[in-house]
Amino acid sequence: MDGFKKSLDTALGVILCNIVIAVLVHLIIVMEFVPSMIIMVAVVGIILVLDRFGVVNAMFDAFIHHKAVAIISGVILLIASPISLGSQNYAAHITTTAIIYMIACLGLNFQMGSTDMTNFAPAAFMGVGAYSVALCTVKLGWSPWVGILIGILLSVLFGLVMGLPTLKTKGYYLSLVTMAMQLAFTQVINIMPALGGSNGIPGVGRFTLFGLELYKRYTVAGIRFAPQIPYMFMCLAFLVGLTYVAMRVYYSKSGLSLNTIAQDDIAANCMGINVSRQKLFAFVIGGIFCSIAGSLFAGLDSYVGPETYSFSKSLMLICMLILGGMDNSIGIIAGAFLLTIISEKLRDVADFQQLVYGLILVIMLIVRPNGIIPKRVRNYCGITKRSVVRPAEPQKNPAE
Amino acid sequence: MSDNTLISIKNVHTHYGRIPMLIDVSLDVHKGHVCCVLGANGAGKSTLVKTILGMVNADGGSIAFEGQDITDWSTHKRIAAGIQVASASIGTFPKMTVETNLRLGAYTVHEPKVLAERLEEIYESFPILKSRLQQKAGTLSGGERTMLSIARAVINKPHLLIMDEPSLGLAPIIVDEVFRVVKRLNQHDNISIMLVEQNANKALSVSQFGYIIQKGQILFAGEAEAILKSEFMQNPIM
Repeated sequence: MDGFKKSLDTALGVILCNIVIAVLVHLIIVMEFVPSMIIMVAVVGIILVLDRFGVVNAMFDAFIHHKAVAIISGVILLIASPISLGSQNYAAHITTTAIIYMIACLGLNFQMGSTDMTNFAPAAFMGVGAYSVALCTVKLGWSPWVGILIGILLSVLFGLVMGLPTLKTKGYYLSLVTMAMQLAFTQVINIMPALGGSNGIPGVGRFTLFGLELYKRYTVAGIRFAPQIPYMFMCLAFLVGLTYVAMRVYYSKSGLSLNTIAQDDIAANCMGINVSRQKLFAFVIGGIFCSIAGSLFAGLDSYVGPETYSFSKSLMLICMLILGGMDNSIGIIAGAFLLTIISEKLRDVADFQQLVYGLILVIMLIVRPNGIIPKRVRNYCGITKRSVVRPAEPQKNPAE
Repeated sequence: MSDNTLISIKNVHTHYGRIPMLIDVSLDVHKGHVCCVLGANGAGKSTLVKTILGMVNADGGSIAFEGQDITDWSTHKRIAAGIQVASASIGTFPKMTVETNLRLGAYTVHEPKVLAERLEEIYESFPILKSRLQQKAGTLSGGERTMLSIARAVINKPHLLIMDEPSLGLAPIIVDEVFRVVKRLNQHDNISIMLVEQNANKALSVSQFGYIIQKGQILFAGEAEAILKSEFMQNPIM
């Protein structure tokens, strides 16, 4: 096993890792329901077994050591993977949906994963972004890009309003407040005709970039690509950018202080951390992420309705976070991916969808309560370019 | 009040709900001194610490730190001004590594270079922590955890270090070690310390000045030697 770990920690090992991951993801997306599920269960099982031997951590270390190689090969694979989907409409649609949920989960993680404030209203934040785009394009005839910006501004306000009770409440009470906000959001939209009421707003304008329509069938080099492919590229760009932001925040002082507040907010305050400001920060930045995800979702479906951003969608996002592993961007992305694929592939047996969710959650919480790829111990030695303090040499066991 | 008063608490009252906890407490800590506050359980020692830190509101009276009135400041602002606390009740973060805990202590230090220097200094003066850097704080022994909470408090080079019962729940041999550290911090690193303790003999042996607090009131204030000789030391509750 040690030899395997060592061979992972090379440039070639990192590239091979990336390729294996990309191929597995591709297979899970394009296969039929049964083989796709078999691969997925196998992958999760293998990850859990490998983690026993510390291989997952070794992979993380390898990626950090060979950052440039990992990023370049990753970007090449990211660009190649949408193209490999070719003309498969449905697969492209699922993948784009998964990418959007990944963004929303990254946002939810700031509150739930980092700060341990369970927020039951991520779907409401998504709704803020989605309705901004819908109203801007349908009622005002503006560009959806303006809608994204307005959505971000509104979600900052919404995040502040939602964050204010957090300064007074904690734990279950805080969760109840967010739950109430989520339910109120759906109700308000239902009773306001200006917001489309319960029928929603159809015909949301599609995104365009420099005159290039992003939701359209293009034929390049003889292949008729699925219409979602260009849009998927845009969502991928958002995902990559926002993942970078999320990771930077995680390793920054702010991220550290959020973790500290999660453990003990009184002690955090005694370290000189402005607890109320950091809590509001978690709500605002998480809200911005979710709002962007919502805007992108509106652009994909070309429709917004109260049911799309209801309480059950919030629960789904929370499930994704628990499944993937909190406070680890990679784990969150994996969780969002797996659960989106499962729920989309279960469309044929939609009656069992909720049952399967519940089953997955119960199994996960028994087998591995921290999620598939849980958060790693904060380690400053590998992350900063010049390690400030050398780590203590691990003590050799004399028996070895 | 002389010029070298570091923190000056004047006529502070505090209450939890309707129960008064501190009644008309006045207390000074001088620069470069170790000042101990002695008292039995429930005398209001911890409330006094919380009031100084701003976690409990003082109604009536004033708190001045280095000449500034800090009565209405929030806790994090007081920490940034140079008050640090090492307390048994305000624990270390068990799920974080020792290094992360130390870095959190220096949360208000912004330059990475200064932070690196401070960390090195701490490793020199607390060698026991250096061998445990990547270990989670929850896996440390009680004595090591106390050392960590002291190290975490002094990494920021506080002007005033408040120590709330550092000897709580420790073996006698480790208690001696803790008080040696207190003495060294005061004499070698020139940190002014407010030592809140139940262990009167030990606390008085390292301090210059002392207060005895009982039922939320200051009962006696004087030089450490005067307290040692006074009738309070014969009192069984001490």
